[in-house]
Amino acid sequence: MPSGKAKSPRSGRRDPKVVIYPAWCKKCGNCVAFCPVQALEEDEWGFPRLARPEECTSCRLCEKLCPDFAITVGEAPVIKGRSAEEPAPRATGDRSTVDRRHSPERVPPVLEHHRDEEESDREET
Amino acid sequence: MTGSNRTIVYEWLRHDKKFPHVWCPGCGLGILLGSLVRALSSSGLDKNRVVLVSGIGCSGRLPVYVDTASVHTTHGRALTFALGIKLSKPDLVVIVVMGDGDATAIGGNHLIHAARRNLDLTALIVNNQTYGMTGGQFSPTTPFGSKASTAVFGHIENSFDISALSETAGAAFVARSTVYHVNQMDNLILQAIRKKGFSVLEVLSPCHTNFGRHNRLGSQVDMMKMYKKQGVPVKRWEQMSEKERLDRIPLGVLTDRDMPTYLDSYAEVCRLAAGMREEGKI
Ligand SMILES: Cc1ncc(C[n+]2csc(CCOP(=O)(O)OP(=O)(O)O)c2C)c(N)n1
Ligand code: SF4
Ligand code: SF4
Ligand code: SF4
Repeated sequence: MPSGKAKSPRSGRRDPKVVIYPAWCKKCGNCVAFCPVQALEEDEWGFPRLARPEECTSCRLCEKLCPDFAITVGEAPVIKGRSAEEPAPRATGDRSTVDRRHSPERVPPVLEHHRDEEESDREET
Repeated sequence: MTGSNRTIVYEWLRHDKKFPHVWCPGCGLGILLGSLVRALSSSGLDKNRVVLVSGIGCSGRLPVYVDTASVHTTHGRALTFALGIKLSKPDLVVIVVMGDGDATAIGGNHLIHAARRNLDLTALIVNNQTYGMTGGQFSPTTPFGSKASTAVFGHIENSFDISALSETAGAAFVARSTVYHVNQMDNLILQAIRKKGFSVLEVLSPCHTNFGRHNRLGSQVDMMKMYKKQGVPVKRWEQMSEKERLDRIPLGVLTDRDMPTYLDSYAEVCRLAAGMREEGKI
């Protein structure tokens, strides 16, 4: 269940959550070129960056047109019963770069006991 | 509506494979991989019932990354392995991923006969109009006049239309999409998987590294913009004049027909034979 209730000021839709995972990004430029509202731009190294978050409509086209699963749109997955300090588990040994949170370096997981706080924060604002 | 890649990646990609994957930056095969796992995830199929089969080529690498049973076979023979798997275990959902060279050159005969037999398989044919992995030689889908590493003066053969070929050969379901039309592709993959009978989905995908470079088509972004301009829904295509159709490609479901599948007919033969044996006639 998505928990985001915050509305972006312009579109009135749910807050966009575009996350880029540089370790998998090959800087191909698909996401920047095909975002229908030009919300993304290339940063100085060639990686995409959400330059105009207020424009983003969470349409997920960038996510689907990314050949490398390096940009995703949506809520951070909730990790049950894990403390914030604990490192993310490796899926199968050290070689794996696939993680439940897709991936450890990128999406800070919303720990379950933090989620309620987050929700009440949101409702206040 | 399909789920977010964030959760699907963990569930459907193989954890012991090295990412980022081997394909060139921007290659359409990565987009198809995403589409396939989203379709599989929304199909509700049990992972253990799905088998992905591929041949050799850049497209042949695709099943390697998906966490289902997979068979990476020899160049051109993916369909023959798939046929064997389906006949021995009809409960499995068998999806075959092939390149255009794989499916229509060395494996061309297998394609038409698999379509003719109408065995319940799904064939995803990645049409990048060239032999990507081996360096951009012409394939049976390279358009007349275009350049390839083995056609520096321009190609002098006519090309196959993969969808028309499969349709005439007898496939129950034929559709075409491009990696730019990714939402349509998600849906068509799901439809092809669910269809009873031989289903073919032809996916146009940019190989900017080889086909694009030889023909000065620019980056994959330029090639995808070209697909955007060329692609028209089949419904509109049917109403277009010959002149308007030039340089345009019909996209969507091209054929969808219900016919007895090979397994249906085979079960009937088994029933007849069992009856005759009971009567002592054989
Ligand atoms: C029997 C056999 N013949 C030739 C080859 C060499 N070979 C490897 S990949 C390939 C072509 C692949 O082209 P295609 O099927 O269009 O896939 P793509 O790489 O474009 O995705 C060829 C000819 C081979 N591996 N095996
Ligand atoms: S979700 Fe849509 S609008 Fe937002 S950055 Fe991605 S492509 Fe642009
Ligand atoms: S589409 Fe993906 S790989 Fe390409 S630049 Fe964007 S995030 Fe990076
Ligand atoms: S050679 Fe062509 S088909 Fe192969 S990975 Fe590169 S762009 Fe894709």
